[in-house]
Amino acid sequence: MPKILLLEDIVEAGAWLKLQIAQVFPEVTFVDTSRVHEALARIRNEQFDFALIDLGLPDGSGVDVVAGLRELQPDAQSVVVTIHDDDDHLFPALQAGAFGYLLKDQPAPVLVDQFRRMSQGEPPLSPAIARRVMSHFASRTSQRERPTHMPAVVLSDRENEVLLRVAKGFTLPEIASQLNLSRHTIADYVKQIYRKLNVSSRAEAALEAQRLGLFGRGRRAQPEAL
Amino acid sequence: MIAAAAFAQSEPAVTFPIVIGHAVAVQADSGGVTRDVVSRPVALPDHWENTRPGYSGEVRYRSAFLLDGPALSGDLLALYVERACNNMQVQLNGHLIFSGGRMTEPVTRNCGEPQFISLPSALLAIGPNVLDIRVVGYALQRVGTVQSEGGLSALEIAPRYALTRAHARQSFWSVAWPSATGFGLIGIGFVLLAVGWLNRHEVYFLYLGLLCLSWVALSIAMSAHDFPWHNDVTEFMIASAWAILISLAVQFFLSFAGVRSRNIESLVAMQWVLVPLSLILAGPERRFMVSRGWFSLFACELVVAMSIYIRVAGRRQTRDVGAVAVLLAVGTVTLCFELAVQWQLVAAPSVSAASVFAPLMLAALGASLFLLFARAFRDITADRNRVRDELNRIKATLENRVESLTAQRVGQFTELERRRIASDLHDDLGAKLLTIVHTVDASRFPHLAREALEEMRLSVRGLAGKAVRLDDAIADWRAEIVGRLEQAGIAARWDFVDTVDSPVLSARSFMQLTRILRESISNVIKHSGARNCRIECVLVNDRLQVGVVDDGRGLVHDMNRGQGMAGMKRRAKRLNGQCLVESSPGGGVGIWLSVPL
Repeated sequence: MPKILLLEDIVEAGAWLKLQIAQVFPEVTFVDTSRVHEALARIRNEQFDFALIDLGLPDGSGVDVVAGLRELQPDAQSVVVTIHDDDDHLFPALQAGAFGYLLKDQPAPVLVDQFRRMSQGEPPLSPAIARRVMSHFASRTSQRERPTHMPAVVLSDRENEVLLRVAKGFTLPEIASQLNLSRHTIADYVKQIYRKLNVSSRAEAALEAQRLGLFGRGRRAQPEAL
Repeated sequence: MIAAAAFAQSEPAVTFPIVIGHAVAVQADSGGVTRDVVSRPVALPDHWENTRPGYSGEVRYRSAFLLDGPALSGDLLALYVERACNNMQVQLNGHLIFSGGRMTEPVTRNCGEPQFISLPSALLAIGPNVLDIRVVGYALQRVGTVQSEGGLSALEIAPRYALTRAHARQSFWSVAWPSATGFGLIGIGFVLLAVGWLNRHEVYFLYLGLLCLSWVALSIAMSAHDFPWHNDVTEFMIASAWAILISLAVQFFLSFAGVRSRNIESLVAMQWVLVPLSLILAGPERRFMVSRGWFSLFACELVVAMSIYIRVAGRRQTRDVGAVAVLLAVGTVTLCFELAVQWQLVAAPSVSAASVFAPLMLAALGASLFLLFARAFRDITADRNRVRDELNRIKATLENRVESLTAQRVGQFTELERRRIASDLHDDLGAKLLTIVHTVDASRFPHLAREALEEMRLSVRGLAGKAVRLDDAIADWRAEIVGRLEQAGIAARWDFVDTVDSPVLSARSFMQLTRILRESISNVIKHSGARNCRIECVLVNDRLQVGVVDDGRGLVHDMNRGQGMAGMKRRAKRLNGQCLVESSPGGGVGIWLSVPL
């Protein structure tokens, strides 16, 4: 019985979501939170299978919860739920480690279908997001420096091919038939891409932190403020 | 015999000054041997052109004067000789009391210098005292000017102090005046040269500067006493030097008047060669003739140049024409007088008019040029300041203008954008919300509200979003459209040709086109009953043409669909494009969009 963390401050939207999710997982336990700090406290103490995270919250951004969950519970899959479908809002969440995204205002059947696919291991990937991912990795490879204790993150040729086709507007079934692979394999590639995006983004953040002198050789780490 | 003759002339009591106006003269050569034994009485002053024309060499004069006891025991006496050309030696009672320098070639030149010779009382006696004066000189025809011909002036004997006082004026004009003006002219000349060098366009500065310096050089040469060469050579050089001087003066007046003529310049320059050449060719015996001829020509040239200048200046009505005219008139008179002297129409004065007036004229001309320059400089500075102020004013005006124009332009754009935003929101979002207000069927609320939300999302993106490359836009459309059609069970075919250089869609255009396409695909899915749908995107001459063609049942009188069509056409027009609809019953629907990019 999966345990799902719900972070949503609008009551009606939360209720509606729960209703739709219940169609995919008839037996499910929800933990309701409506603030970022509340959710962060929860993930420190409890294990979750999924997290449905709204981005626009009064006391912060859901992206922090995504990042926290990725760090504390790597096996949990966080799905960002938002009104905005543009890559400017979604990309940071994906970089932080989100598994996928749902658009709040879509008709119920569409939402259910999308969530089902995600639970089956097929995260969504729109052309705009694919373009952002490609440009992210393109600028990464042009940079020589990285922190030495972090591994180099590079997309494989196949992954690049998939990304390219998505960016051109081909649907997953079309890509599968073009590359002579199953739809499931393509979905796996997308998952890999997201994972590498997360790792690469974390490496970039670490590099920035190092540059700012937050951790490094011979420097004492700052005591964490609680 | 000589003493008796002299004695007969003297007065019973001696009063000073004693003026000796007669002497006995005898020609001699430098060896002392007299040429003709007969000595002739001559009047003093004696000009050899009158008494012995054509003779160059030495002449001895003997005269005497009487002194009595009181005269002898009185003040120191001196002999004043105004002129002895070229040089003389004086013996008093057989003793040499004065020598002016070399009496043989190269002879010392003392023509212009009056001499005060002290008579030592030890050599004087009561009664007659004999003066022997040896004069060496040249015939008029061998020299360049009248002032250089051989001769002796009258002799004057008086107490020394009285003599110096009496002839102070003469001394002043012969000695002090030339020196002072010489120094002055050197200074003026150099400054004029400097100014002329910096402003080579105003060439008359150079000419006047050179003229001043040349005048000083010539004065020095003419008053110098000893040259290492024969007197003839000196006379020749001085006569040639005048050519240079006159040419400079002529060039000055002409260039100052603004008359530049190659012919005149070369003619004047030729004189530099012709004068010396003619003098050499004529030989020493005809020197005076040739010189006098040239001087006359020079005088004419100068007068002509000056009159040209006055005429031009008068026509231009320059400010100081009157003063300069007076100056030049004085100059002309001086020239004429000097010419008269050379042509022996007038006796040569003890001080040459030229040496008095020429420095004054040069200084005055120099001063007028400086004044001219100073005025021009002041005018130019004033002009420059005025121009600069004008420029600043214009610059400030322009800056203000640009600023206000920019502000206006920004204001206009902002106004335009605001109106567009208002119209978009009103048309798209407002219309949707209105349908919610008006819809009776409550079950349609979620659907309509959802559509309103979509409109809002699109509007926000259209207003605040970035421009989109056409390739990316088409990829987005493709993913969405093919996905939706496939899900609805309609076979989708997408035709698009990749462009090499993808143009850019503004965020607003992208949004409006997205709306149109979504609407048309929704219609295909909901109303057409089609099995196949083809979407075509072509870029033709900076216009994007999109076609959506289905093979469904075509347009039958469907109110909703009709309204949807109207909406699409309206949107297309807002993008300055057009939307055509083709349909035939049972033949499907084709929607053709054409939009400029």
